[in-house]
Amino acid sequence: MKGSSFWRFLLIAFFLLYLLVPLIATTAFSFANRWDRSILPEGLTLDWWRAVTERRAFGAALKNTLSLSLATMTLSILLVTPTAYWVHLRVPKAKPFVEVLTILPFGIPGVVLALALIRTYARFGGHIIYSPFMLVLACMVISLPFVYRPIVSALNSVDIRALTEAAQTLGAGWFTILRRVIVPNIMPGILSGGLLVFSLVFVEFTLANLLVGPRFKTFPIYLVEFTRFDGRQASALAVMSFIIAWLTSLGLIWVAGRVGGDREEAIGAR
Amino acid sequence: MSEIVPIQADKPATPKRLRLWSDWIALIPFFLFGIGFEIIPILLVLSSSMKSEEPWFLFANYQRAMAPLLARSFLNSIKLSAATASLGVLLGGFVGYAIYSSKNKIIRNITIALADVATNFGGAPLAFAFIITLGSTGIVTLVLSRYFGISLYPTFRIYSIAGLVLAYLYFQMPLMVLLIQPPLHGLRREWREAAINLGASNFQYWFRIALPILAPALIGGFLLLFANSFGAYATAWTLTGPDINLVTVQIAALVRGEVQLDPGTADAMATISLLIMAVCVAGYQWTHSRAQRWQR
Repeated sequence: MKGSSFWRFLLIAFFLLYLLVPLIATTAFSFANRWDRSILPEGLTLDWWRAVTERRAFGAALKNTLSLSLATMTLSILLVTPTAYWVHLRVPKAKPFVEVLTILPFGIPGVVLALALIRTYARFGGHIIYSPFMLVLACMVISLPFVYRPIVSALNSVDIRALTEAAQTLGAGWFTILRRVIVPNIMPGILSGGLLVFSLVFVEFTLANLLVGPRFKTFPIYLVEFTRFDGRQASALAVMSFIIAWLTSLGLIWVAGRVGGDREEAIGAR
Repeated sequence: MSEIVPIQADKPATPKRLRLWSDWIALIPFFLFGIGFEIIPILLVLSSSMKSEEPWFLFANYQRAMAPLLARSFLNSIKLSAATASLGVLLGGFVGYAIYSSKNKIIRNITIALADVATNFGGAPLAFAFIITLGSTGIVTLVLSRYFGISLYPTFRIYSIAGLVLAYLYFQMPLMVLLIQPPLHGLRREWREAAINLGASNFQYWFRIALPILAPALIGGFLLLFANSFGAYATAWTLTGPDINLVTVQIAALVRGEVQLDPGTADAMATISLLIMAVCVAGYQWTHSRAQRWQR
């Protein structure tokens, strides 16, 4: 048994190093004065962070990415939640079709999706296909699997039928039922789907690059441009991406921790 | 599956058939979206891959897509995906088992949370982090040459296929770590005890019982990792630019119009990629349903 615990330690240590060293190195690099001749940086500085955040293009890229992520997140949730609820409650026959449409994006590489959308919508003119609006729709396609699954598992964890019937007995209409009864009960699913989409779209490069490119610079496009001419400032941008990814992950863990509590409430309500 | 109980069965106001139709109407927005932005675009790519100046020959574009440069891009993409998928399954499988069998709950939770974050990393930030770590003046490169006397450069370059393998493993390995957890938890203690009581060695238990049960999950993991790597573009583009000849890099160049070629060629390449992805994703779904038989 001694031997096996040694191997276990070695494997886990290797895994942690593999995942953490690049992150730590990038973070250190973004604060380092000069770091190409010695093991440790020669001094610490905030210059790179200041330089990169002071640019006007940085604010614009951040704003573009935030609006893209939030728009995609909101629209995906608005599209998927009522659909998943309705399929769950009233049209289980539609379930396979809905599932195929939500799994399909897994099998479409980003470059192929961009190509396919251009083939379909370029005929309506450049202002339609090469627009931020089309980018939101394309991001919604790749988001489908990530929104649909958590919402469906949230729907499965509460008794949707009983809740709906109770609300109906009390005279609530469909919109009220969805907004006041169903959504609060499946909130953890909606939140985790939303957070996943937010972090996915925040770092999305392929579609943004091929569909709008320099006309609507998003954060990842800005980052890739910087890697080509200023590594120090690019490293500060990369660290910002890592922070966003970590924050959304912490949010996801927090939501997952709340699922249990919400489920009890739902049972209590039943 | 819960049985379908009509909610207002005692209300004969709307005939049942009509109500069924009105139920489908509520799904129209979703289906319009799916058809308009998934089905029709894909079908258009498939159909325009068959169209070319030689209307009598359906596969003219495919012939062009198999020109040496483009054929090599398929070969490179398949090699890269196979390498990162098999290394990912192997390393991720062992690490996943080490995590699963670890007695320390804090270590388990931290590593799983870390795997969760890392598997969603990718693209430009990841590629850049690897340049800083393993580039020619990267920190690991410096440490290796200063303290261990190992000089990575010029034999190894991060801007190469080998570098891409290392970068892709950053999200492939954690993905396998996560994928293997449910099947490992499905292995029951009784099976091992029964095997040992019947005189099986540890080796026999693994090769005759545990691995055959884990096989669907391992094969499914390989397929999912393969697809994950085959479709990737942003990481490769940031790390190596146009230097590495991959399918996604070629299609993107065709889309941007950087290469003057018949547009049909891009469609043919996209169609072949979609076929490869479809086989992987469908295979994964199938093995996933087989793997679940053993899970409580």
